[in-house]
Amino acid sequence: MNYTDVPCYRRPNDRVLGGRLFGAFLVLLIASGTAARAQGASPSNSPLSMPATNLLGFAGVRDNAKGTLSIEGDALQFQQSGKPPAQVKITSIQDLVLGEESKQVGGTPMTIGKAAVPFGGGRAVSLFAHKKYETLTLEYLDSDGGFHGAIFQLNKGQAEGFRSELINKGARVSDTGAESTKQTVEAASENK
Amino acid sequence: MKTSKRTLLMVSAVAFGILAVAHPLAVSAETAARWSAQIAKVDAGEINLAPSFQIAIYEHLLDELSKTKQFKTVLRDGDRNASNVADLLILKTTVEKYTAGSETRRAVTTVSGATKLTVRTQLCTRDGKILLERTVNGNVRFMGSNLRATHNLARNVAKAIKKSFLPEPASPSLSKEMGSGLSDDIVVVEFR
Repeated sequence: MNYTDVPCYRRPNDRVLGGRLFGAFLVLLIASGTAARAQGASPSNSPLSMPATNLLGFAGVRDNAKGTLSIEGDALQFQQSGKPPAQVKITSIQDLVLGEESKQVGGTPMTIGKAAVPFGGGRAVSLFAHKKYETLTLEYLDSDGGFHGAIFQLNKGQAEGFRSELINKGARVSDTGAESTKQTVEAASENK
Repeated sequence: MKTSKRTLLMVSAVAFGILAVAHPLAVSAETAARWSAQIAKVDAGEINLAPSFQIAIYEHLLDELSKTKQFKTVLRDGDRNASNVADLLILKTTVEKYTAGSETRRAVTTVSGATKLTVRTQLCTRDGKILLERTVNGNVRFMGSNLRATHNLARNVAKAIKKSFLPEPASPSLSKEMGSGLSDDIVVVEFR
């Protein structure tokens, strides 16, 4: 019978060391994971690229299409998933105006659901079932000089930075657009 | 024998009816299709209308007029190709009245919060002769976003144009034949 003498006082130290190593490994793992996530998320949070809805007008994109609005070189680009991107030269932009709008959320299913609530309860739901968005209205010219207008719906707080970036890259802004950068459509009527 | 005669009579009566109804429509469509249209930018006049609404009216007018197939081509404001189009009508739209609505208020109360638009629309020739003038409304009373009013308005404008009678284009078209290296140009004037 061969027994190896291992001092009993050393065992807990090994365990502690192992535990500490494991803990350090976990911390490193979490930190690197967080860093990777932050790096991955940064392009979508940057003012050059953001999720948007083309409410109407952008050439080559159907109305109410969702996608990503970004600045690619000297062009403003709207990219839908699985479709070729639509682009407009930034220098062809004649005006950029910001606006704010409040919309009911949930679409038709929500509307039907609200109608089904007895005793007019759906109306009470409508009070809370709306969300505020920012709109970016742009006017631009095509290669034939034809005037185009497009309206994009953006999440709140994103439009101002994007507009500034477009102006920096050569987009023109009219006097009215510069003075009243934020036109509140819905809020004005709701304050009445 | 009697039955077949009756059937024949009925069929011929129905065919006559269809021809009587369809023929004037076909003639009017044919007449209108000789014209091309250019949509001018929407003039907000004294009304404080958000740029997004002006753009939305303009873009929807382009869509709706193209759908009617009343015109050979529908051109945008500033399009350089318009100078080559012989029989061109210019659609001018001036906003006369605007009531800002609220989607939330519509959803909660049903009876209030309607978005209302009234415009005066004119179809003019190049030399400014007005061929058609109408006052048209576009509203959203129950469901839909505020911008929906602009879509309804454009549809009503297209309907008004479709219903109305446009005279045949009678303007003399100028065609230029360049002389072969000579200083004098020969101008041929064709009266249609």
